[in-house]
Amino acid sequence: MNAMNDYPLLIIFLAIAIVFPLIPLALAWAWGVLFSPAKPGKDKGAIYECGIASTGAAQIQFQSHYYLYALVFLIFDVETIFLLPFAAAFLKLPPAAFLALMVFLLLLVEGLIWAWAKGILRWK
Amino acid sequence: MNAEAYIHLLKLLAPEAILVVTALVVLGLGLSPSSERMRPLLTRLTLFGGLVAASVLYLFSKNACILNGMVVLDPLGRIFKLVILGLGLITVIFSAASPVRRHYAEYLALILFSTVGMMLLAGTEELLMIFLALELTSISLYVLTAYLKDSTASAEAGLKYFLIGGVSAAFLLFGLSLVYGVAGTTNLRALVAISPALAGDPLMLVGIVLTLVGFGFKVAAVPFHLWAPDVYEGAPTPTAALVASGSKVAGFFILAKMLALGFGASVGMAAWSQFRPGWLPVLAIMAALSILLGNLAALVQSNVKRLLAYSAIAHSGYMLLGLTSASEAGFTAVLFYVIIYALTTIGAFGVVSVVERRRGGSQLQDFDGLHKTAPGLALCLLVFLISLAGIPPLAGFFGKFYMFSETLAASGKGANPSMLWLVVLAIALNAVSLYYYLIVLKHVFVAKPAEEERVKAPACGPLIAALALSVLLLGLFPNVLLEPLRAAVKNYTSSLVLP
Repeated sequence: MNAMNDYPLLIIFLAIAIVFPLIPLALAWAWGVLFSPAKPGKDKGAIYECGIASTGAAQIQFQSHYYLYALVFLIFDVETIFLLPFAAAFLKLPPAAFLALMVFLLLLVEGLIWAWAKGILRWK
Repeated sequence: MNAEAYIHLLKLLAPEAILVVTALVVLGLGLSPSSERMRPLLTRLTLFGGLVAASVLYLFSKNACILNGMVVLDPLGRIFKLVILGLGLITVIFSAASPVRRHYAEYLALILFSTVGMMLLAGTEELLMIFLALELTSISLYVLTAYLKDSTASAEAGLKYFLIGGVSAAFLLFGLSLVYGVAGTTNLRALVAISPALAGDPLMLVGIVLTLVGFGFKVAAVPFHLWAPDVYEGAPTPTAALVASGSKVAGFFILAKMLALGFGASVGMAAWSQFRPGWLPVLAIMAALSILLGNLAALVQSNVKRLLAYSAIAHSGYMLLGLTSASEAGFTAVLFYVIIYALTTIGAFGVVSVVERRRGGSQLQDFDGLHKTAPGLALCLLVFLISLAGIPPLAGFFGKFYMFSETLAASGKGANPSMLWLVVLAIALNAVSLYYYLIVLKHVFVAKPAEEERVKAPACGPLIAALALSVLLLGLFPNVLLEPLRAAVKNYTSSLVLP
């Protein structure tokens, strides 16, 4: 089979991928229309919160300055990714590599100290 | 990599390392509670660090190329690193009296970081490093643009710059990835050897066009210029000066390098009605549109910073025109002109920042009668604007003349038909540009001042005067800069192993 003939197969795959999940959805919808008449009520329309009766509305306000924590967290998250291969190959590395990584850590720590001193870690 | 390689890397990057350390120290000092009183100290410390870095770069640096072209230092790169560092330090001096009140230490540190990014850009021959250095520069500049927290114009400018910049960075990265995909290398010198085999490869052409979109944003060429007027107007004036000068120098330097090395063989053709795919027609169209739109839109501006932004777009067009020469002499002319342009425009922004501080705005009316209240400043502004318009004996005239003539000379040769149509367009619209520069000067020299009394000279006055003098002297004796530049370019091209 040459390369050009692969594409119709791909289209068939695509068609199946679309139709296959639609069948159970259509069945569920048909079942709902035929056998379960709509009876909306207070309990039925309530927000589902792990079975306990819900408190308050779902649209609550999120503090947007949470993003600063997220940024600081992200920096240290990425740092871990860099540290892991370093730790894995630690015994085979020259001292200069250790020094280079310490410089990298120092830059991050200065960032943390700066953020701390600027009061970014204090919740307002 | 062994210990020796690390020490070698540190030696090669010593100027950049000194700048980063200075920035970190400034950041640390800025945390002290009395940071408002420490303003002069912080400025001096930053300047000191910058001067140390410049002298290390000038006196002790050796030519080298390490990590497969990631970090390169050659005479040409050294000239441009020094120019960029100088522009960064001038920006620092302007910011000493800028409207930036809060977080001053961070402002200085960000200027240093973006300067480091531009210097790295001038010292690399590796696609990945080019992208990283561009991002370091751009991200610092985004923050610097949005620095005035209580000004909505500044916030709007920062957001526009950031969004358009982010999209263009995506284009650039996609273009570079296609080039890498076709060529199999991210090293520019290796691309030189491969590129003749790739000339005309459609994927390579797509990569080139996408890369040029990214650089077109960086140098504010039409149709990727939309951010420029808002950023120049809304940003704190020192930031605008840095965006207009330093980032333009770095952008054109690396663009010229990429065109000469990476895309060398896929030139194409852009003579009138004889287009052939390659980077030349793309550049020619961008140049023509920039010259046309920049000069025409500048005619109706009422804000001087905005006017300078449109004039910057037009000048990007002239310099792109110079790049269409695709010759060693033409590239030398562009590199010469971009340095002249940076000196001129940063000086003009210096004058604008003084006027802005005094009158609270940079509308044309704020310049009324400047020659009565500050004759020295008015004279400097005259020099800068006349040089931008390209009138002899100032440097702007020689730079433009040299660039246009080299373009004509190079493009008329052999199989490469003439770019006469573009040069004629540029010269015609350059005449138009004189009108809006003269409008500013009319406000300065003819209109009646709002208040009569003389104002004492600003602290950055001597610096502005020195810039004006250098623009005049470079117009009279262009060889002072042109000869070293020519020698460096010659040295550079002879170091290439052309296939």
